[in-house]
Amino acid sequence: MMPSEKTLTSLDQAAWEELVTRFDGRMWAVARACGLGPADAADAVQGAWLRMVESLDAIRDPERIGAWLVTTTRHEAVRLAQRSRGERPAPSTLPDVAVPDPAASVVDADYGRRLWLRLDGLAEPCRSLLRLYALNPDAKYAQISMRLGLPMGSIGPTRSRCMSRLRTLIEEER
Amino acid sequence: MTEDDHLPAYLLAALRMAAGVDPVPERVSEAARNAFGLRLPGGVVAAPSEVGPAVGARSEGARSEGQPAMHRFGADGITLDVEVTVTDGRLDVAGQVSPAPGPDDRIEVRTPGTGRSRTPSETGHFAVAGLPPGWISVVCHRPGRAPVATRWLHVRD
Repeated sequence: MMPSEKTLTSLDQAAWEELVTRFDGRMWAVARACGLGPADAADAVQGAWLRMVESLDAIRDPERIGAWLVTTTRHEAVRLAQRSRGERPAPSTLPDVAVPDPAASVVDADYGRRLWLRLDGLAEPCRSLLRLYALNPDAKYAQISMRLGLPMGSIGPTRSRCMSRLRTLIEEER
Repeated sequence: MTEDDHLPAYLLAALRMAAGVDPVPERVSEAARNAFGLRLPGGVVAAPSEVGPAVGARSEGARSEGQPAMHRFGADGITLDVEVTVTDGRLDVAGQVSPAPGPDDRIEVRTPGTGRSRTPSETGHFAVAGLPPGWISVVCHRPGRAPVATRWLHVRD
């Protein structure tokens, strides 16, 4: 059973596995969306669970454990991505125990379905670019560039612009 | 992606979840379930501490083949210095606990899948070779006192 008091120290194996079932798909999706390949994404997700193991006493809001796990996965993914680019992450840029991102709740299949409806209404090249990018997690810029006939250097900036449009549409809906 | 603009990654994750592409692999879920067994009840977590530019600059685990990464952790009156070297894709961990350990103290170097115990030398030195790359943690077990565990540390090629 999930503990009812404001602590996670009494969590048992069954409750833990329940958390894994509920959240590991979201955590994996976040690690991959941060640009990690499968091996690094697996390490980022595992890292987030290990952070939880070592932080059970320090997590103050069990109600928001899903947001905490998603946020912690993102932190570990950012660290791993920086390292794989050869950067040396500054230890102080990310806190030891994450403060859950308010936006973490959007990492959800139902929310994703609403996003798809909005995405299908976007003009080109945004619609095709975001579709390709979402449906092909390991697609390289060169492949996307060839498929869509866009210059390779413009894929990153175009994707950011298209994501902003999608975000604006969703925010208007609220 | 920058630290303060994480919404695009979250939106992309949601799109992929809704489309059912790239689901979480079973081995990732299995590792997550097994992580529960790595709790250290009553243990004290030792946070990394800065020890000057030569060592502190490496405190996030950056390394290259053959170059050791130095890490210092402290909690509950003890300091754990941990040095990790990557050799042929495996991790060699060497370190020192200070002040000098008691005769019954034990050092355990853990990965999510294994734990190797060592009796530290009189000067507190210990070493474990050939660990799989990925996450490691060093635990100092002290009879009658709380074990002290370093935060989990990621080391790979």
